Amino acid sequence: MDIILGIRVQDCTIIATSKAFTRGISILNSTDDKTRQLGEHSLMAFTGESGDTVQFAEYIQANMQLHAMRESYELSPKATASFVRNQLASSLRSRKPYQVNVLIAGFDTKTEKPSLNWLDYLGTNVELPYCAHGYAAFYTSSLLDRHYRADMTQQEGLDLLQLCVKELQLRMPMDFKGVLVKVVSNEGVKIVDF
Amino acid sequence: MSDPNSINGGSAVAMVGKDCVAIACDLRLGNQSLGLANNFEKVFQLGHTFLGLTGLASDVTTLSETFRLKTNLYKMREERTIEPETFANLVSSTLYEKRFGPYFVGPIVAGINSQTKKPFICGFDLIGCIDFAKDFIVSGTASDQLYGMCEALYEPNLEPEDLFETISQALLNAVDRDALSGWGAVVYIVTKDQVVRKVLRTRQD
Amino acid sequence: MSRRYDSRTTIFSPEGRLYQVEYALEAISHAGTAIGILAEDGVVLAAEKKVTSKLLEQDTSAEKMYLLNDNMVCAVAGMNADAGILINHARYTAQQYLKTYNEDIPCEQLIRRVCDVKQGYTQHGGLRPFGVSFIYAGYDDRYEFQLFTSNPSGNYSGWKATSIGANTSSAQTLLKNDYKSDMKISEASKLALKILSKTMDASLLNSEKVEFATLTKSKTTGKVIHKIWKPAEIDQLIKDSGVLEEAEKEAEKEQ
Repeated sequence: MDIILGIRVQDCTIIATSKAFTRGISILNSTDDKTRQLGEHSLMAFTGESGDTVQFAEYIQANMQLHAMRESYELSPKATASFVRNQLASSLRSRKPYQVNVLIAGFDTKTEKPSLNWLDYLGTNVELPYCAHGYAAFYTSSLLDRHYRADMTQQEGLDLLQLCVKELQLRMPMDFKGVLVKVVSNEGVKIVDF
Repeated sequence: MSDPNSINGGSAVAMVGKDCVAIACDLRLGNQSLGLANNFEKVFQLGHTFLGLTGLASDVTTLSETFRLKTNLYKMREERTIEPETFANLVSSTLYEKRFGPYFVGPIVAGINSQTKKPFICGFDLIGCIDFAKDFIVSGTASDQLYGMCEALYEPNLEPEDLFETISQALLNAVDRDALSGWGAVVYIVTKDQVVRKVLRTRQD
Repeated sequence: MSRRYDSRTTIFSPEGRLYQVEYALEAISHAGTAIGILAEDGVVLAAEKKVTSKLLEQDTSAEKMYLLNDNMVCAVAGMNADAGILINHARYTAQQYLKTYNEDIPCEQLIRRVCDVKQGYTQHGGLRPFGVSFIYAGYDDRYEFQLFTSNPSGNYSGWKATSIGANTSSAQTLLKNDYKSDMKISEASKLALKILSKTMDASLLNSEKVEFATLTKSKTTGKVIHKIWKPAEIDQLIKDSGVLEEAEKEAEKEQ
């Protein structure tokens, strides 16, 4: 029931994640952050089996930090997504696969372009203009199809996100305690009031 | 529902013509019934040989990357690109390595041998059994429909232009009867000294 | 004295030297010269091929120039058989990187991976070090065109122009005198041939004795073009460069 949602606009990528941390029928925490920052210009949002999610995200985060220390530069978002895909794909055929679905938002400082990658626990990786995992995708895809433009500004993107969140609040069977919104742009990763 | 071969959807087909081959695929990538991307190509060019991969998208990506690695190393070692027949055997042995934990894919190979100038196509099952065919090879979630279309439309010794028309009509009409395939298509027409790639507009539902 | 310390690679001598590594370097100093020059718009590699016998089958493929990756070429000085192992390793490393990241490996990273192998053999017991030095010509997005060398100790370094193999010190001196930082690839090619003609034992320069490789960037597609030159192309290049006439003139002057 977790919501993770991403929209790539003209010069940044917006990530929204639900703030409710649930276990079974209970909400244990209403200020959860389902993202980890992988580098100065990349952010990973995740959902899936609790336990696996944070473990996997922080494993990737540590690997990206290690890479940055060794090579004294950070991987591009495309390379980051490929790396994560490979980790998920090899995990899939291990004794106990990570059951984690992720979105990777990035800003490539070389090409000056934002990016958004959709990856599932099977190791599927696609670069998309907007996407979501889980039930949220069913409720928001049609809205995004209708209103999305590639040349939207950050504010227009946030307005579109507002539309999606409204729909989710209306249709989802539980209160997901609102969303935490982060923006990945040229200036790095920032939390946005929402 | 949890059949790995039909989680993401997608189809591919290859045909032999007169001194030419054609290979084509759709562009859909889905998550069950939900369409995700309409730019997911399933045909990969490796030198002058072409590989179509349908099935589980994760394995499609993994295998396309693996074969890129293997054919690049082959190219540097041999100082020439791999021939379709050779590549077919590489695909076969690579898939059989994972006999007891296979990749969930349906590969097809097409190309023209640069020495003999003979067209070549073949298909595989998921553990690498080669299916040599003289006429056409189909693969993917619309394979039943593709068999029907190909049986109806195919004739031997077609010129490149006619082969393009035949393979395109076969693919387009097959994927229209499959909920998990479609969303655009790509066709490669390969002759001994030319490769033409065409992107087809299709219905978007 | 040295006898007690050079039979195994892992032992330092009392003077703090690793004899096996020094012997490997010595072996390379007898190998054919290889030169690398970094130009504004590309990199040039040129190498002397020692013809051992007239009866030896002349292989069609180059024996001292190897493609490591789409963005890297290297020249070898030293034992070719040893080089083969390292080149295979480099090629595999580069392709493995491409597989995991879907991007070409940065030049320095690939060189470091090769040098890690070389270094291993100067420390872990029982085996001899690799008897090869390399000159690498590479291109990546971050630093564009680059030139590196590496030697049996596992050290590597970046250069504007450099050489390895026999007569390396005289080649370096010539490079120091004639190198200009604003050279184009054509001038750099000419300079490489000129220096090679002076450092080689045989006076006459031709494709039987020279191997040549360039790394440039396509003006239309922006793609990196790596080229290991064919014998006929090398002969044409030698002719066009006018290096032979210059050498003749200088010989006349000396007389």
